[in-house]
Amino acid sequence: MTDFKKIIIFTILVIYTIFEIGPFVWITFMSFKTTEEFYESPYSLPLHPHFEKYPVVWIDYNYSTYFLNSAIIVGGAVLIILVLGSMAAYFFAKFSFRFSEMIFQIIFLSIMFPPQVRLISLYQMLVEYHLINTRIGLMLVYASTQLPFSIYVLRTFFESIPRDLLDAAKIDGCSEWKAFWRIMFPVARPGLTAITILNFVMLWNEFLFAVTFISSDSKRTLPLGVMRFLGEHYEDVCMVATGVMIAVIPILIFYIIFSEKFIEGMTVGSIKG
Amino acid sequence: MKNKKVILIFLLPALVFYILFILYPVFRTFYNSFFKIGAFRIKYVGLKNFREIVKDEIFWKSAKNTLIWAGASIVLEIGTAFLLALALFNKIWLHRFFRVAWFVPVLIPYIVTGIIWLWIYNYDWGVLNTILRTIGLRNFVVPWLGNPKTALPALIVGTTWMWTGFNMVILLAAMHSIPHTIFDAAKVDGANSFQIVTKVMIPLLRPTFSNLVVLCFIGKMRVFDMVWVTTEGGPLWSTETVATYIFKRAFKWNVYDLGYPSALATLWFIVIFVISLILGRLIKGSEIYEY
Repeated sequence: MTDFKKIIIFTILVIYTIFEIGPFVWITFMSFKTTEEFYESPYSLPLHPHFEKYPVVWIDYNYSTYFLNSAIIVGGAVLIILVLGSMAAYFFAKFSFRFSEMIFQIIFLSIMFPPQVRLISLYQMLVEYHLINTRIGLMLVYASTQLPFSIYVLRTFFESIPRDLLDAAKIDGCSEWKAFWRIMFPVARPGLTAITILNFVMLWNEFLFAVTFISSDSKRTLPLGVMRFLGEHYEDVCMVATGVMIAVIPILIFYIIFSEKFIEGMTVGSIKG
Repeated sequence: MKNKKVILIFLLPALVFYILFILYPVFRTFYNSFFKIGAFRIKYVGLKNFREIVKDEIFWKSAKNTLIWAGASIVLEIGTAFLLALALFNKIWLHRFFRVAWFVPVLIPYIVTGIIWLWIYNYDWGVLNTILRTIGLRNFVVPWLGNPKTALPALIVGTTWMWTGFNMVILLAAMHSIPHTIFDAAKVDGANSFQIVTKVMIPLLRPTFSNLVVLCFIGKMRVFDMVWVTTEGGPLWSTETVATYIFKRAFKWNVYDLGYPSALATLWFIVIFVISLILGRLIKGSEIYEY
C-alpha cells in the first residue's frame, strides 16, 4: 500500500472510531453537567463537573437498589449455569448413551429459540408457582436462557482436555465426581471464564424478561431502572445520562482492564464454523 | 450400571432444568395458540387465532419491518465489518486500539443504545441535526424518529452501530486463521490484492459469513428493547416489530387474551427456524474449502 492510500484509510477509520466511541464521550460529559448547562451548550466540556449527581442518582433515585438486584439476579443465574452447564457439558464431552447425541442436538437447536416463544408461557408458569415479581423467578429464567449456549461452548472445551488426565485421576482413586471438580473443572478454566463473561454481559443487559416478570420498584434490575427513570425524567436528560453511566460503568471498567478476555468471551462459540 | 450413575449425577440436573424452563414453556406456547386465554376463562378455539393472524394488518406490517431490519442489518453490519476487518488485517496504524474501541457498543444494554440514539436523533439538540444545520443542510433537518419514513432506517443505523464491531472481530479472527502461505501462493501466481480478497479470502471465509448471517438474522428477528425505549413501535406502526407486537398484545393492550399472542409467537418461531436453516445452508454452500 502506498502511504497516500494508507493515510486515507486511516482517516476513514478515525472518523468511524469517532462515530462508535463519540456517543460515550458525549454521555460521559452529560453525566457531569446539569440539564440547564446542557441546554445552553450541548457539546461543551463539563468545565465545572457536578460529581454530586452520582451519589444523588445512586441514593435518592434508587440506583443502588437496582444495582444490587442486578448483581443478585445475574450473579445467581451465572452460578447456576456454571454448575449445571459445566456438568452437562462434561457429560456430553466424555460419556454417551443411546440418546445422548440427540439430546445434545435438541439443546443446541434451542439456542435459536426467540425469547418470545417462552415469554407468555413462562409468565403463566411464574404466576402459577408464585414466582412472578420475585428475584428468584427471574434468576431461574435467566439461567435457563443462557444454559443451552453455555453447554454447547463448554462441551468443546471439555473435549479438548485429554482423556489421559482423567484416567490418571481415576487410577489415583478419584471417583468421577471428584475427578470432575478437582481436575476437569480447574483445567477448563479458560472456557469457564469466557462463558461466564458472556453470560454475565448478556444477562446484565437483559430487558424483555425483566420488564415482563418484575413489577415492583424494589426488585427492578438496572435496565428496568434506567427505563423507568427515562420515563419519569424525560426532559432531565443529564440526570438520565448519570443513570446510564451507573448502569454501564461496571462493565466498561472490566472491559478496559481485561479487553482481550472480554472479546474472547463475547465471541466464544461464534468463531468456529 | 456405573454409567447410569454418571448420567444421573452429571446430566440430570441440567436436563430437568432445561425441560422445565425451555422445552415445557415452548410446547405450552404452541398449545396456548389454540385457545383464548382470559384472566379467568380458557376456551378452545382451534385454528381461529391463526386465521385472525392472516387478516391482522398490524402483524403483517410488523413482520415486514422485522424482515427489512434483518435484511438491511445483514448487509450493513457484515459488509462494513468485512471492510473494517480487512483494514485491520493489513496492520494499519493503531489496529489494536481500533479493534478494542469498536467492540465497546457490543457490551452495553440495548436500553442504553436506544437512549443514545434517541438523543442523537433529537430534533432540537441532537448530534445529527446539529451537524446538518452546521454544514448548511437545513432542509434535511427532520424529527428522525417522529417521521414514519425515517424512523425505521434510523433505528437500523442504531443496531448497526452496536453490532458491527462484533462481526468485525469474528471476521478478523477468521482471516488470521487462514494460513499465510495461501495468500503467498496466490501472489506468486500473479493475483493482485483485489483478486486475493475476492477469489481467495472470501471463499475461504464462507463458513464464517454463514454463521454471522444466521446470528445477525436471529438477533434482529427478536429486536424489542431498542424499539421499546425509542418509539414503542410508532409513528404509525412504522417501527413495530413482531417482538413488540407480541408483547403489546400479551401485556399492554387490555384485551385479556394470551392465546392470540401465543399464536403469533408460535408462527414467528417457525418462520425464524425455517429461514435460519435455509440461510445457513445457502451461504455455507455445498463446497467447503479446506485449508
